Amino acid sequence: MFKKLVIAMAVVASTQGSYAATLQDVENSFYPYKNGMPTAPGISVGMTIDQNNWQVAKDVLDPAMLEQVKQGNYTIKVGETDSFDLHPNYIAATQDRLGKVKLGNETGQIEGADAGRPFPEEPSMSDPRAGEKLAWNFKYGYNWGDSAAIYPFYWKFRDMESGKLERTLKFNFHFLNFTHRVNQEPKPAIEPNPSELFRGTYVQVLEPFDVKDTQLLIHRFEDDAKRDNAYLYLGFQRRVRRLSTGQVTDAFLGSDIMIEDFEGYNGRISDMKWTYKGTRNMLLPFYKHNEMPLATDMPAESDGYQFVDYTGKGACFPHVTWQLRKVYEVEAEPVDPNHPISKRIHYMDAQTFTIPRTSVYDRKGDLWKIWTIGQAHPDYHLPKNKGSGVSIDDAFTMIDVQANHCTTGQFKGQVDPELSPPSKFSVQNMRSSGR
Amino acid sequence: MSKKITTTLTQLAFGAGTALGVGVTATQSIAEEANWSGYVENATYHRDGVGISKFRNTAQAEFVKPIDSVGRWHNVTLNGTLRATYDGVYDINENEFGKNATEPYLGSNWHPEGSATGGPFLTAGVPFPCENDPSLCRNLDDYMDHKERDARFPEFNDELDFIRELYLDATTDLSNGDQLSVRVGKQQVVWGKTDLFRVLDVINPVDYSRHNIYDELEDIRIPQWMLNVEWRMGPTKTFDDSNLSMVWNFDKFRPNNLGTCGQSYRILDAGCFFSSYMRLDTLPGAAFPGGANPYGTAVPIIHDVKRPDWELGNTQLGLKWEGVYGDSTFSLNGLVYRQQLPSLHFRPLAPGIPAPAADGVFDIHFPWVRMIGGSVDYYSQTMDAVWRLETTYSNGEELPRDTNGHKRTDMLRYVIGFDKNQLIPALNPNRAFLISAQVFGQHILEHESDMPDFEDNWIATLLFKGWWQNDRISPQIILAHDIRAGATAVAPSVEWIPDDHWKITLGANIKFGGDETFPWSVNGNQPDTYEPLARFTNGPIGVANQEDEVQLTVRYSF
Repeated sequence: MFKKLVIAMAVVASTQGSYAATLQDVENSFYPYKNGMPTAPGISVGMTIDQNNWQVAKDVLDPAMLEQVKQGNYTIKVGETDSFDLHPNYIAATQDRLGKVKLGNETGQIEGADAGRPFPEEPSMSDPRAGEKLAWNFKYGYNWGDSAAIYPFYWKFRDMESGKLERTLKFNFHFLNFTHRVNQEPKPAIEPNPSELFRGTYVQVLEPFDVKDTQLLIHRFEDDAKRDNAYLYLGFQRRVRRLSTGQVTDAFLGSDIMIEDFEGYNGRISDMKWTYKGTRNMLLPFYKHNEMPLATDMPAESDGYQFVDYTGKGACFPHVTWQLRKVYEVEAEPVDPNHPISKRIHYMDAQTFTIPRTSVYDRKGDLWKIWTIGQAHPDYHLPKNKGSGVSIDDAFTMIDVQANHCTTGQFKGQVDPELSPPSKFSVQNMRSSGR
Repeated sequence: MSKKITTTLTQLAFGAGTALGVGVTATQSIAEEANWSGYVENATYHRDGVGISKFRNTAQAEFVKPIDSVGRWHNVTLNGTLRATYDGVYDINENEFGKNATEPYLGSNWHPEGSATGGPFLTAGVPFPCENDPSLCRNLDDYMDHKERDARFPEFNDELDFIRELYLDATTDLSNGDQLSVRVGKQQVVWGKTDLFRVLDVINPVDYSRHNIYDELEDIRIPQWMLNVEWRMGPTKTFDDSNLSMVWNFDKFRPNNLGTCGQSYRILDAGCFFSSYMRLDTLPGAAFPGGANPYGTAVPIIHDVKRPDWELGNTQLGLKWEGVYGDSTFSLNGLVYRQQLPSLHFRPLAPGIPAPAADGVFDIHFPWVRMIGGSVDYYSQTMDAVWRLETTYSNGEELPRDTNGHKRTDMLRYVIGFDKNQLIPALNPNRAFLISAQVFGQHILEHESDMPDFEDNWIATLLFKGWWQNDRISPQIILAHDIRAGATAVAPSVEWIPDDHWKITLGANIKFGGDETFPWSVNGNQPDTYEPLARFTNGPIGVANQEDEVQLTVRYSF
């Protein structure tokens, strides 16, 4: 009887988001490989998985990527699992807030989460809000740290069938946390901040000429119920325009990517119904950038940096190694019935809470796009990234499997606060950076 | 893809840096490279019943040269845009356009021959008067005195318009964390939130001779030498962004280019009106007091253009405060500037006599205007749409009158805009369409019944645009309707981007309506009178009612 009462109390506490995580939970969350690297039957470091042996990866690749391998579109080379330790200040912030974070009554409501990972405890299938908690862990993750820039950032549009390169866009991307800051001054927040912004994303298009000088600024609020404010500067108009959210689910500048797809998911927690589907060891594109076969056909960087190369059908796949990782599978279903997709299935990395793999389904429920974001270890990347404790987004591919078309991304991620000062995340900066 | 090349801009940068009052070391500037981009383009338009109306070939190059930090100044860059155009229409279709392109009567390209043009009053405009009529050329000196060569190569003139823009940017940090930013040089300064129309966006004059109102404003604004200083306060306790700016236009005043008679685009057909004559010499003496005709020859419409000389007192000044407050971005604006459209001042034959002077009916003036205004846009979550509002109130503008020359009046202008992205799965399940609607309104506060304009008028526009094939194919349609003039323009087009370099645009521009007449008192208020005043009532859409075109533009960018 007493045991049943304890279980019942635990379930109630869990559904109300008040499960008291422990320091051990924090340790397990940030160092999942402390007691050994993950293994899977038939999977070994150094092996390749292709259309001849794809069956061996049935349990460690998500179905959409497995299908690409099965069709011979991509060959995956297995690398050694590495621990991607996040910055100690972020871990300390998580420890400091143990027991202080809880969900509100509605999806998108949270209290006490002003820094660190909100829910370091293991998700439970019996917790109906476990998926939402994982989504919060992503949103308040140490994804790019307190600020960073992708500088530059090349996007290529490709016909997957013919391999024809249709377009090459060159960007600079900048990210800044106004709050939840744990590492860069000022901490814990940038003031003044009258609208209580959480995060800013600023995008500047450098090439080609027809979209040159286009700029995008997204302001995300602490209050998840509030929609982002988004602004667009078009070079030929020389004017900042407000964006309606309809445009954040559009193909951004003609790519296969929505603004909502950025970084895995770039929207409100309250825009989705989140469902935790399970935990398992899976292959994900985590690697050491400097040890990969890098591209030789890209414009030279003055510091000698080389971008990730692409391979496979239509050159739509990053030429990187994949490693076994502990993964949370989370389904996100849009609340808005008019949303252009019916659901996303995210494969979140348990250690970093990045989203390296996502499958996107159209309104009919058919697989539409597969979204891959390669993660590079910061200590094997640019010298300035060493020790940053940031899992570096380093290469992406969004494949529209219905149109046989892909957009690939080659990053030069730089964890450097000087590249992303707060003044860069203002409407006025868009005007002054324009023409 | 842009090419980075090392250039000799170092010297220019050095000079510009010196202008900022700070030192620039040679090593700082030599180490930098300029980033160049640009395009070459051919635009060929075919006008119904006329033939080729534009064969414009353009080469444009743009550069940005970073100069690193210069003393206390950082983000220092030298920016420039160079443009060269050759419009071959004057060689290809010289029967219709150019110095020999005479017309049967004034306004024959937009209305039938009315009583004012078929009778003794108004002659047809003289095309390119500086090649056909020295006295008219003298009268229009410094305004509509273009030669055919100037229309063929519009950037190569005394104002060095091939240098479209050349300015230096620099920013310095203030002790309180704010920033002071300076942009000095030849530039465009854009105010407001309105597409197609200019309500707040009036700092730069506009070249309507390039393609009436239909080209992008970026391409037809006439850049001016200006100083633009911004005090960027950034976020405050109340505002998410706050910025105060001052614009000082210290260039010599330039009015809007309305197009010289003989050009293929001349908004309101004003160029031909200004180069026409009144045939008062043909009237019988009995028509005049005393029974004698005082006019020995036809009277030119324009006697003189009173374009202000350059002097400090003739420079123009604007202030703007803009910011972000919650879900709204806003601006408050004030500007003291010269009216960019000509004001016609009647010249009487003698004091108290309502007949025009024998050496010219009007002088052209550009009066001072004081304008205040503001703009705001607001994102509505419930509608998932953006509303835009922009308004100005001006004092000092002058409008024409039929019986009394002109009148100074206050003016109220406003635009309400609505932008929404709407997914229409039946047409494209993956990409939303842009629907943008605007209503532009104008109210003349001291309206008179003999003003050839409406006390209140509105022009409504609608843009509907879609994208397919990863945005490489983009059809759109623009509708514009002048409500009181009953004039409509329909402009469908399709843009195709095969790769990063090529862009091909096929479009059309079709007009309807725009055939209002105006009871001109000089002509006895005859019902079939168009000239000269109906050009104002019909507006830029209506006066171009015979300019239905098919348009093909091919651009290669680098």
